[in-house]
Amino acid sequence: MERAVPLVVPLGQTEVFQALQRLHMTIFSQSVSPCGKFLAAGNNYGQIAIFSLSAALSSEAKEESKKPVVTFQAHDGPVYSMVSTDRHLLSAGDGEVKAWLWAEMLKKGCKELWRRQPPYRTSLEVPEINALLLVPKENSLILAGGDCQLHTMDLETGTFTRVLRGHTDYIHCLALRERSPEVLSGGEDGAVRLWDLRTAKEVQTIEVYKHEECSRPHNGRWIGCLATDSDWMVCGGGPALTLWHLRSSTPTTVFPIRAPQKHVTFYQDLILSAGQGRCVNQWQLSGELKAQVPGSSPGLLSLSLNQQPAAPECKVLTAAGNSCRVDVFTNLGYRAFSLSF
Amino acid sequence: MSSESGKKRKPKVIRSDGAPAEGKRNRSDTEQEGKYYSEEAEVDLRDPGRDYELYKYTCQELQRLMAEIQDLKSRGGKDVAIEIEERRIQSCVHFMTLKKLNRLAHIRLKKGRDQTHEAKQKVDAYHLQLQNLLYEVMHLQKEITKCLEFKSKHEEIDLVSLEEFYKEAPPDISKAEVTMGDPHQQTLARLDWELEQRKRLAEKYRECLSNKEKILKEIEVKKEYLSSLQPRLNSIMQASLPVQEYLFMPFDQAHKQYETARHLPPPLYVLFVQATAYGQACAHMKSSQPPRQDKTLSVAIEGSVDEAKALFKPPEDSQDDESDSDAEEEQTTKRRRPTLGVQLDDKRKEMLKRHPLSVMLDLKCKDDSVLHLTFYYLMNLNIMTVKAKVTTATELITPISAGDLLSPDSVLSCLYPGDHGKKTPNPANQYQFDKVGILTLSDYVLELGHPYLWVQKLGGLHFPKEQPQQTVIADHSLSASHMETTMKLLKTRVQSRLALHKQFASLEHGIVPVTSDCQYLFPAKVVSHLVKWVTIAHEDYMELHFTKDIVDAGLAGDTNLYYMALIERGTAKLQAAVVLNPGYSSIPPIFQLCLNWKGEKTNSNDDNIRAMEGEVNVCYKELCGPWPSHQLLTNQLQRLCVLLDVYLETESHDDSVEGPKEFPQEKMCLRLFRGPSRMKPFKYNHPQGFFSHR
Repeated sequence: MERAVPLVVPLGQTEVFQALQRLHMTIFSQSVSPCGKFLAAGNNYGQIAIFSLSAALSSEAKEESKKPVVTFQAHDGPVYSMVSTDRHLLSAGDGEVKAWLWAEMLKKGCKELWRRQPPYRTSLEVPEINALLLVPKENSLILAGGDCQLHTMDLETGTFTRVLRGHTDYIHCLALRERSPEVLSGGEDGAVRLWDLRTAKEVQTIEVYKHEECSRPHNGRWIGCLATDSDWMVCGGGPALTLWHLRSSTPTTVFPIRAPQKHVTFYQDLILSAGQGRCVNQWQLSGELKAQVPGSSPGLLSLSLNQQPAAPECKVLTAAGNSCRVDVFTNLGYRAFSLSF
Repeated sequence: MSSESGKKRKPKVIRSDGAPAEGKRNRSDTEQEGKYYSEEAEVDLRDPGRDYELYKYTCQELQRLMAEIQDLKSRGGKDVAIEIEERRIQSCVHFMTLKKLNRLAHIRLKKGRDQTHEAKQKVDAYHLQLQNLLYEVMHLQKEITKCLEFKSKHEEIDLVSLEEFYKEAPPDISKAEVTMGDPHQQTLARLDWELEQRKRLAEKYRECLSNKEKILKEIEVKKEYLSSLQPRLNSIMQASLPVQEYLFMPFDQAHKQYETARHLPPPLYVLFVQATAYGQACAHMKSSQPPRQDKTLSVAIEGSVDEAKALFKPPEDSQDDESDSDAEEEQTTKRRRPTLGVQLDDKRKEMLKRHPLSVMLDLKCKDDSVLHLTFYYLMNLNIMTVKAKVTTATELITPISAGDLLSPDSVLSCLYPGDHGKKTPNPANQYQFDKVGILTLSDYVLELGHPYLWVQKLGGLHFPKEQPQQTVIADHSLSASHMETTMKLLKTRVQSRLALHKQFASLEHGIVPVTSDCQYLFPAKVVSHLVKWVTIAHEDYMELHFTKDIVDAGLAGDTNLYYMALIERGTAKLQAAVVLNPGYSSIPPIFQLCLNWKGEKTNSNDDNIRAMEGEVNVCYKELCGPWPSHQLLTNQLQRLCVLLDVYLETESHDDSVEGPKEFPQEKMCLRLFRGPSRMKPFKYNHPQGFFSHR
């Protein structure tokens, strides 16, 4: 096995520390700006970096343009989740959700617009927020995470309106059914729960690990990722990545991949998934692996498809995970370059 | 007829002369009151014209008489003779008259001559007088022109201006009413003022001179006093030697050292001076205590002074000639005798020659261990090198893995980032090396000592990369600016190396030494334990499959030290590859993990292993312990044991496997997993003793 010996540059104390910090960085979340030209990425040190997709994708892109435009300390703990409204970037991680104005973030020294903390029961540890979900119809935000509950926040007033209880362990992920106001949540307890937002009741529960087709006891029961397309739902994590028919609550396709998946999404007639391992997987609904595109990180945690109509030239897939790099895929089959913290 | 004969005959003539003459003489006698006859007086009375008539008549008469005589003679006869006689008498009278007339003419001539002469003399006198007068006139004219041309000295004098003169001069000199109209008077007045001023200045000058003299005298006196002081001081110094020895104050020794220091080459001299100064400054800072014998920094010069002196005397023929003229000679004559290799060897030796003097620096640390530094100067390369040696107060048992920690070769490596002392800092050297076939200096470093950059700086040598200079001059300020930080770095380096040395001894026995002041970082019960601690080679580290990230990040240079630790608990084995930067403990050791338990787990396939690496590598600051954080490495290892405990105990139990869990959960945890990457609770909360997520 041959390795190219890299050029060893002598490093001082701060350089070594910075190198180690970069080496142990994990990018948990990404979000594309409403204009489609910028990408925000949040890491485990609580920093949010804004990359300019348009500059990095332009023909005269230099190494410089693959570096963040701005990096700022947003949270004390890791930034687990981020979503963008038409004006704001909402970020959450250590029990708090913060809102940032996209327009102001590109300037240096940006301060958050507001911050909210869901009503938690007192505990030694502040529960984290693992997932944010925008419900455009009622202009609200759903937060879920460490306290095993879904909190609904009205974006107009900033008040927490509903609490959905039911999970027995912390919640990993959320997904919205577009047509009916229903929300799916998946958690560490191995269950995917379907909530009706109108009644604030749990309407359906799928305990994925109990189904033999997809259960993988050595990996645990946790559901790490979830995506839905009206009647169909795909989820993965400890159990295998599986496509479910919601109405009948039956697994229709089990995707043959061993590594636990951390992110899954529907894209046209494909399912994209990523997790442990370097690759972004593309699946046919029938369960065939259409392609595996290798990225630069040893493990991926989030995928982001930039489908903003405002910036068609920036229509890319970005993937981030256990490294300081955000891989940019200009079309689904090819990794063009990496943005780097 | 001569006048003499004429005069002799005069009286005869007078006697023979007739009465007519007497008659005349009488008359003149009466007139001239003399009675004697004077023809001279007669001359004045007679008219020359008449005499001339008389002369003519007489001559005619004579001619007639002669003719008659001749006539008579030719006729002959007796009566003729009478006739002739008569006529002869008549002729004689006529002759007499002629004679008289002749005399008169003579007198007249003489008289005329005398008169002419007299007149001439008169004219001459007048002429002379005229000449004199003319001369005098000329002289006077000359004098006049001279006077006119005379340049007065005062014109050369630069006088003060007119305004100034009227303003400053006292009225009794300036006399404005007189001098205003009269330029002559004015000039005089101004000259007076000038004179006055000059007199004053001259006075002043004299005063100053006397003052100067006085001061000179004083200086003389003081000099005498000083020169008389020298022998006295010498005798006092001589007398104080025993006292110095008794009080451990080696002033004299220091003085001698300064004497030898004069023969040091400039960089070593700079180093010597600056190090001595720094040492003294350190001693002064601690001077609240009585003067101590154990200074932290002591400086000494080693080597032969005579050799150094010899170097100075013939500087040309030692090196320059050899390279130029001798080289040519050698090519012709010597080349055949020694082989080319031997010759090159000699040249290399010559090039790498050290100055015979070296500077010894002993740096004493708190625990009485001493760092001996010997600084050399390579004369032909113009760089300095250092050799280091560490001695400890107590004998150390050297653990196998600590072999390189205190070796002279590596103990000072990378004191400043990147300064590994293998390459020459002087860019000019490379060309010199090319000539004699030296590839790099690193082959000679063991023998010569390391040419670290900080050594050059301590010697005041600076080799800028951008603008190579012809001559690099030892600079005191450069040395001074680097002295303190370098000495501090050296001290911490030695101390951290010694601390590591001690720690390695127990690590090799599987004990992770945790000092009491770091005990709070860890729970009381740690089950995982260190099994192995070995040193590994750099190449082996590079070959490991789980260290790729570190190698790619450029953190695995060949100046680092590499170790492998093995931590075990039950069937789980955690390998940790450790990079120990020479800059430990300011630069933390870097750990890469590989867990063998239910398959091989590394940072690429297990987020929690990655998190564990992050815990020790990134969050190392909380593990540093009290300053100067020599406990960092052991704390990191102990922390790794704790992390392994947490990792194993919180691993979710696989329901499908029969039997009890291998590692029952003993640690108190708030939650087992958190966040999208399902982190385990690695953070230890000290007083409560539970584990939480970071």
